[in-house]
Amino acid sequence: MSSRDIEINYFAILREQAGRATERRVTAATTAGDLYEEVRVAHSLTLPRTLLKVAVNDEFCEWSQTLQSGDRVVFIPPVAGG
Amino acid sequence: MQPFAFSTAPLEPERYRQSLSDPTAGGYASFEGWVRNHNEGRSVRHLEYEAFESLAVKEGARIVQEAIARYGVLSAACVHRVGDLAIGEMAVWVGVSSRHRAEAFAACRYIIDEVKHRVPIWKKEHYVDGDSGWVNCERCAQPGEASNAHGSAAEHDADPLHHHDHATHDHHHHPHPAPGGHAVATQTPYTADYSRQMALPQVGPEGQARLQSASVLVIGAGGLGVPVLQYLAAAGVGTLTIMDGDRIEASNLHRQPLYGAADVGQPKALVAAARLVALNPGLRIEAVAEHATRHNLQARIAACDLVVECTDNFAAKFLVNDAAVHNGRAAVFASVHQYEGQLQVYRPRADWPCLRCLWPQAPQDGLVGNCAQAGVLGPVPAVLGAMQAMEALKLLLGIGPDAVPAVHVLDLMQLQWRVLRAQRRADCHHAEKSDQVNPPTMAEEDVMELDFATLGAARESGMMLIDIREGWERDEDEPGMRIDVHVPLSQLLDGRVGLPPAERYLIVCAHGVRSLALAEYLRRQGIRSAYSLRGGLANITA
Repeated sequence: MSSRDIEINYFAILREQAGRATERRVTAATTAGDLYEEVRVAHSLTLPRTLLKVAVNDEFCEWSQTLQSGDRVVFIPPVAGG
Repeated sequence: MQPFAFSTAPLEPERYRQSLSDPTAGGYASFEGWVRNHNEGRSVRHLEYEAFESLAVKEGARIVQEAIARYGVLSAACVHRVGDLAIGEMAVWVGVSSRHRAEAFAACRYIIDEVKHRVPIWKKEHYVDGDSGWVNCERCAQPGEASNAHGSAAEHDADPLHHHDHATHDHHHHPHPAPGGHAVATQTPYTADYSRQMALPQVGPEGQARLQSASVLVIGAGGLGVPVLQYLAAAGVGTLTIMDGDRIEASNLHRQPLYGAADVGQPKALVAAARLVALNPGLRIEAVAEHATRHNLQARIAACDLVVECTDNFAAKFLVNDAAVHNGRAAVFASVHQYEGQLQVYRPRADWPCLRCLWPQAPQDGLVGNCAQAGVLGPVPAVLGAMQAMEALKLLLGIGPDAVPAVHVLDLMQLQWRVLRAQRRADCHHAEKSDQVNPPTMAEEDVMELDFATLGAARESGMMLIDIREGWERDEDEPGMRIDVHVPLSQLLDGRVGLPPAERYLIVCAHGVRSLALAEYLRRQGIRSAYSLRGGLANITA
């Protein structure tokens, strides 16, 4: 099974729940959606992905976006504080 | 002749004088302003005048009409030179004919004073040493300058523009100047000096005139809105509307230092307006002490050039998004969470994404983020608010590089700035559907929150009580407060737990914020009888 080396960035409540702003992860996940499911379990994240956005290499994309080694993935919820 | 005009050619006072002649007139007074050869210790070689003419001519004509009505003179006119002027040339001429001399002098004085205050004209001084700089014409009225007052018409006074006098400049507003003719600070008329921003080649007099004629709607006068309002007012944005239905709380002050301890309890919009008037008295400032709603937003957004969204909730952000899209107005959004902020600009262009392109399901307040106040350091909204002000000024001035639609994500703890590019979504409704223009927010008509005297009474209501707090929140519950059905919010949101739609549910959390959001979410999922316990467990006894 192939694996990919991915840099992940967490923002807002995801950062709090994951206890980190960034991590490198070697993963078998092939899509952004699969990767989120993986880290959701690993870090006990409470938000379902329907409430978030994902960006790969600084561009917002669909959850079906396939991942390549070296990709930078951002998981980001909307925030409303003012 | 026209009541007010600009001339690129040298002024012709004799010809103007003849046009005011009237057999019923007993006299004529005029004033001439000349270019002087020095200013503030620097030798001036020549001057350049520039005006925002369409606006200036209207305002100038209004001033002349006011003078005629106020002093009952027979006729009056004013001509202002624009372009390059040499030392000694006439920059402005005012003439008045009337039955008696007193009104002629007074009207003449009124016109030149008001023109200097209100008509958008700038001068660029070219100094003998080769340097140059834009100077606001109305430097005369800065606080602290002494008075030399009492100029007669056509006098030759001490400043580069001979129509340059001091404390009695605004004498009609201040009928009792301080003894000796020296103005005290509160009586000294003030005119803004934008020279430091007009010195930028991208701004200049034309940019300043654009700002002066612009109208900006700022929604929310809190942590983000305070710097937005301060910088837009300071920059001379001519019309500002402040919308905020909140009152100032002591807990606001650490991040909203426009307000002070004595303001606690006062409506934010009104206090903010008063502070902005003090900051820049020449602006038109409107305070609307209401929250943005589907009813009060449309007309206000249609009437402005640009909207800056500074609230703290998703419902308002999406209301503003939809109204901005619907009316074709640019909008500048920002929000913060602890040490982070997000900034997004909407431009009314066919290829530009709106908030809904990014978030097709408008997030509900209470579902994302903490129920407990997340906490924030004051400079975080200040940084994001200052960025909003910057984006607003760029939009109004029409400057900046070709913009790329993106969400800017700032992390002020790590000092990192990420630019996440966004695209317009082909299947986004934007605001084209009528129900998208006014999206459902917290249901306004339907009862969704219920009050009970005790938890026991709630149990007897026949509804199924569901405690949606996280497990750790239940650890300190008193025994009588325990609710048997416990499903954390996160599990209900991701569909791991299905609820029979025919049942009646009373959703319970700590303070009633998450439970209300979930009740609305469940209703959208088809569970019609989902209710929230108002105020949560903090508000009820066993």
